[in-house]
Amino acid sequence: MLEDPLLLARLQFALTAATHYMFVALTLGLAPYILTTQFLAALRGDRSRMTAVRFWGGLYLVNYGMGILSGLVMELQLALNWSGLHEMFGYTFAAPLALETMTAFFVESTFLGLWIFGWDRMGRWAHLACFAVVTATAYASAWWVLVSNGFLRNPTGFEMVDGVAHLTDPVALMTNPAATMAFGHVVSGAMTVGALVVAATSAYHLVRRDDPHGIFRRGIRYAAIVMAVMPMFVVTFGGVQFGLFGEAPPTSGLTYTAEEIAAIEAASPGGPLLNGVNATADGLMMSMWAVLFFLGPVMLLVWPFGGLDRWRWFLAPLVVTPFAPYLASVGGWVFRETNRQPWTVVHHLTTADAVTPMTPVAAVASFAFFTVAFAVLAAVTYWLLVRYARRGPGGGPLAERREEEPAELADPVHTF
Amino acid sequence: MDVLSFASTALLALFFVGYLVLAGSDIGLGMLMPHVARGPAQRRRVVSAIAPYFLASEVWLVAAVGVLAGLFPLLEHHVVAELRPVLAAMLAAWLVRDAGLWLRARVAGPRWRLGCDAAIVAGSWTVAATWGLTVAGMLTGGLTASAFTVLCTAVVMALFALRGAAFGAERLVGPADAESADVAARVTRPLSRAALGATVLAAAAALLPGGPELSSAAPAVILAVVLAGALAATSGLVGPMLSRHTSALAIAVPGLLVAVAAQLPWAPVPAGTGVFVWVTLLPAIPVMLIGQVWLYRMTRRPAVEATFFA
Repeated sequence: MLEDPLLLARLQFALTAATHYMFVALTLGLAPYILTTQFLAALRGDRSRMTAVRFWGGLYLVNYGMGILSGLVMELQLALNWSGLHEMFGYTFAAPLALETMTAFFVESTFLGLWIFGWDRMGRWAHLACFAVVTATAYASAWWVLVSNGFLRNPTGFEMVDGVAHLTDPVALMTNPAATMAFGHVVSGAMTVGALVVAATSAYHLVRRDDPHGIFRRGIRYAAIVMAVMPMFVVTFGGVQFGLFGEAPPTSGLTYTAEEIAAIEAASPGGPLLNGVNATADGLMMSMWAVLFFLGPVMLLVWPFGGLDRWRWFLAPLVVTPFAPYLASVGGWVFRETNRQPWTVVHHLTTADAVTPMTPVAAVASFAFFTVAFAVLAAVTYWLLVRYARRGPGGGPLAERREEEPAELADPVHTF
Repeated sequence: MDVLSFASTALLALFFVGYLVLAGSDIGLGMLMPHVARGPAQRRRVVSAIAPYFLASEVWLVAAVGVLAGLFPLLEHHVVAELRPVLAAMLAAWLVRDAGLWLRARVAGPRWRLGCDAAIVAGSWTVAATWGLTVAGMLTGGLTASAFTVLCTAVVMALFALRGAAFGAERLVGPADAESADVAARVTRPLSRAALGATVLAAAAALLPGGPELSSAAPAVILAVVLAGALAATSGLVGPMLSRHTSALAIAVPGLLVAVAAQLPWAPVPAGTGVFVWVTLLPAIPVMLIGQVWLYRMTRRPAVEATFFA
């Protein structure tokens, strides 16, 4: 089994994408909360809210680092391992990715650098504006990636010229329901990931009655509101997509005739492994959302009785709730992507034709290195996130320097 | 060549050359870290000099890969087919190096820091070496075992190191007891000479079998002369005064050489995709420029106190 480069390439991409998405989800989920908190802090000159921004911002950065690392590997792996896809659909599938790299990631990374290094070097409104750009481009990035991903499932807006897809209708590409619905689903799902990470961290500190700045009091209230609203959007945007199942894309027939398509699909029924994975992922996602659906209303219910601040028996279990939306998210992606098989681009390009021809040795080497590296990096990032979340606002990576620490450099610095 | 294709080609070349010039600084300084930094405090200063830039410089390469995939899939296919092992090694080294940078300040222990510094140094060397092989491979039309490949790789690695030395000589200036900046300044002269020597040898090896297959020789000769001139200008000088400019020019040459003289499969950008990408990109260009210029201006002075990265 492990000699098959196609299987290794698929498994490698699945692991990369799943790892990447876990960190992306927290990035998307935390960014609006940090932005809102920083806006209120700047508006009111509120020091305790600024402490909160430094605390959540520290977690955001630790998480973002792994998001970047896995994102870089994912983008280049797409180019290295899936050249058949790029050869045929470069002008359509990869065009939104090109726009993602330039208009979203390029700007996001630069402005995040400005935000990290600008704490004491720019005014509070300029600093806030930097994070506003970071938030906007993080969402723009998700949008472009989902336009690309939606194209794979429901290819639209192109014509075939000598075996290469040429974009004819950018509007159809951008309004592809497989992309827009998925964007709504991913954004609302990511908001619940962010909210439950905030809730878990807040609950951990509230159980210990350790909340001198009111950070966790506000955090758990935010989580209660988001969890009461967002799961409905998640389920709605997710449910709408079931309507797209099994429908032939509008461009069906441009590459293969209906008979050829039926023959290809009949020749590769998926096998028990693929079907099992698909069904497990579906069940996992559904059961997690069934639980999450009730969490928000229950939190709202105990709010008026002071349960969100005082009831230790209620708060303590919240610490483990973030696992649920993470499992649901990964399950959702596995379900979505395995559902498309045997196609990479539905009715146009099979997965077997999309992969780069490579020797088993190269495939095994690349798979082994990146899988081990990702496992180590993801484990380290998880450990760091938990450690910083437990330490609280005093010990975060962005926490203000304490006075007793001697300044390393006092003399004026000569530069060329 | 129509306007869209010309603009797209220029954009690809700009991202590629821009990456070499900007990332050359932080990758080169990463290579020189064992030489210029003695002890934990000096190593911390080296990382804090690198940190503000690596995020803003690697995005140029990511954008170049995006443009390559979206607008020049034929060229991308050629590059991946010819250079897949080299590119996979570059990606692995990039991952190791960035992981070192992101994780270094997260744990206070000396062994953790040493491990992360080792990842930064090893990653920087491997990234520079794989860039050398990539440039050589694109000039010779695929990886060839030849003297030119070896010498071209040596030139590119020396250019990375020189860029890092000039950058370090400028950014590591600190209190009197920190000699990192002086060490970096002193190393610009031998690096200029080494790069110059390797350039002359590579130019000679280009005429041997296994040398580059160029689409046009005249621009390549001009660029080689520019490179030699830029290196000769600082081969008798120590310090960043001149070399911070000449090293930028020098490291741009390999990128420009690939852009104008390499024999690469090129197809005009189809109008549908070209218009879509450019119409969406144009409004973002001012934001991209503002961010980059702002960041580079804001962090001109080295960070005094500890930041997120170091």
